Amino acid sequence: MVFKRKTEDEVLQTERYQINLGPQHPSTHGVYQAILTLDGETVIDVENVIGYLHRGIEKLAEDRTYTQIIPYTDRLDYIAAMLNNLGYVQTVEKLLDIEIPERAEYLRVIMAELQRIASHMVFIGSFAIDIASITGWMYNFRDREKILDLLEMTCGSRITTSYMRIGGVAEDIPADFIPILERVLRELPEGLEEYDELLTGNEILIGRTKGVGVIDIDTALDYGIGGPNLRACGLPFDLRKVRPYGIYDRFDFEVPTGENGDSFDRFKIRLDEIRQSIRIIEQAIDNIPEGSVKSKVPRNIKPNAGEVYHQIEGARGILGYYLVSDGSTKPYRLHIHSPSLMSLGVFPEMTKGELIQDAVVNLASIDIVLGEIDR
Amino acid sequence: MYGYGLLKGLRVTLGNFFGRAVTEQYPERRPFISPRFHGFFQLDLKKCNGCGVCSLSCPNGAIQVTSERDENKKRFVTGYKISLGYCLFCGLCVEACPRDALRFTQEFELSSYRREDFVCDLLEIEKREKICSREPA
Repeated sequence: MVFKRKTEDEVLQTERYQINLGPQHPSTHGVYQAILTLDGETVIDVENVIGYLHRGIEKLAEDRTYTQIIPYTDRLDYIAAMLNNLGYVQTVEKLLDIEIPERAEYLRVIMAELQRIASHMVFIGSFAIDIASITGWMYNFRDREKILDLLEMTCGSRITTSYMRIGGVAEDIPADFIPILERVLRELPEGLEEYDELLTGNEILIGRTKGVGVIDIDTALDYGIGGPNLRACGLPFDLRKVRPYGIYDRFDFEVPTGENGDSFDRFKIRLDEIRQSIRIIEQAIDNIPEGSVKSKVPRNIKPNAGEVYHQIEGARGILGYYLVSDGSTKPYRLHIHSPSLMSLGVFPEMTKGELIQDAVVNLASIDIVLGEIDR
Repeated sequence: MYGYGLLKGLRVTLGNFFGRAVTEQYPERRPFISPRFHGFFQLDLKKCNGCGVCSLSCPNGAIQVTSERDENKKRFVTGYKISLGYCLFCGLCVEACPRDALRFTQEFELSSYRREDFVCDLLEIEKREKICSREPA
């Protein structure tokens, strides 16, 4: 029997052990499980386990008419339902090749940007709570409530909106919507300043997030991540600018980028994006025309056989819908390219070699929603 | 100066400590519900003729409508069951109704202890409410 002498590295290592982060853990942002292999406090391997929230929405869509799929898209990314609605209806409109009224286009932009702000506020709040700043959570939810009230006023629901329709939107905004929206837009920058004082300048937050979970541009592109997570690496890639859909080419806004691609940049970029979204909504209010909000679309939608792919800038990245039609009233196949799934793919890469406390911060910083990952 | 950021944060919380409370005292004080809110359903028996378009438009098949024809071949509704357990509250049924007979109410406290209670017969509810409103208070 030959005894092999242990190398110095092996001597210093403690016994490796695995722990389960989730699926019943508040900081996994849903039912997601990560199997962490630890060496002391250092994470040396991460295994993603997904599928706990699988509801088969893509399969269900094959047995629903084109209009009936809209409520299901709410339940994909349940924090930004409006954006899911928008992506889906624009896909079907691309397949049918129909024009939608000007007023509906502007309403879609207002609603989508409001939803983006609400979604980023959930991110900032949950990011704060994951580094043990419960106060940060409260302030964001106070302001998000105002936006949810606006959504409830327009479409009757706060989370599952189902507002967009093929050929326009479900109904026009109520008469007192614009004055309330203008008031909310005036109040939001005050709230943002509070977050800045409360969180952005906080030494504990900076200490926990600066230089933690760094993704460089090449890794980000290899994994196919998009949205704020990609822009935090320094690449100004925003589909609203690069490949404008709807009427986004008419608005003047900037694409904020980060520098280092660490957790702090991913946090800060969302604050900046809220400011840009406010700018877009202000321009939309100024230019919104009168008129109808829905074009004439037959009740039974029967597109010609064919396939279409359309992507929009979701709150978490590139949200794409791939639709195959066989000429009947129901789609042959609907596939959803969800941004959270792409972001989750890079999580093991960015966490290896870091401490277990930082794994939680990293997971919070990529802003995943499990409804969208498992579909 | 290290710690200045913490002090600035504390100033924000202190400022809000003396401000107005944001929290809603829910069961004691009723929240404001917007008129378009998707709550419980209300069926107008005078308008509904039991055509069943709402049932066809429902993504989950949560609505069951039965109807019959009278001696003039005119259709009238004989049963209207809606299963709230399957309802997505998307509003496609209300939107599809050609006679505006179905509408949402602002009632949002729809939870129940038993599964059977989620199947609501809107026809029964309407009839019961009619009798109740006739009785003197």
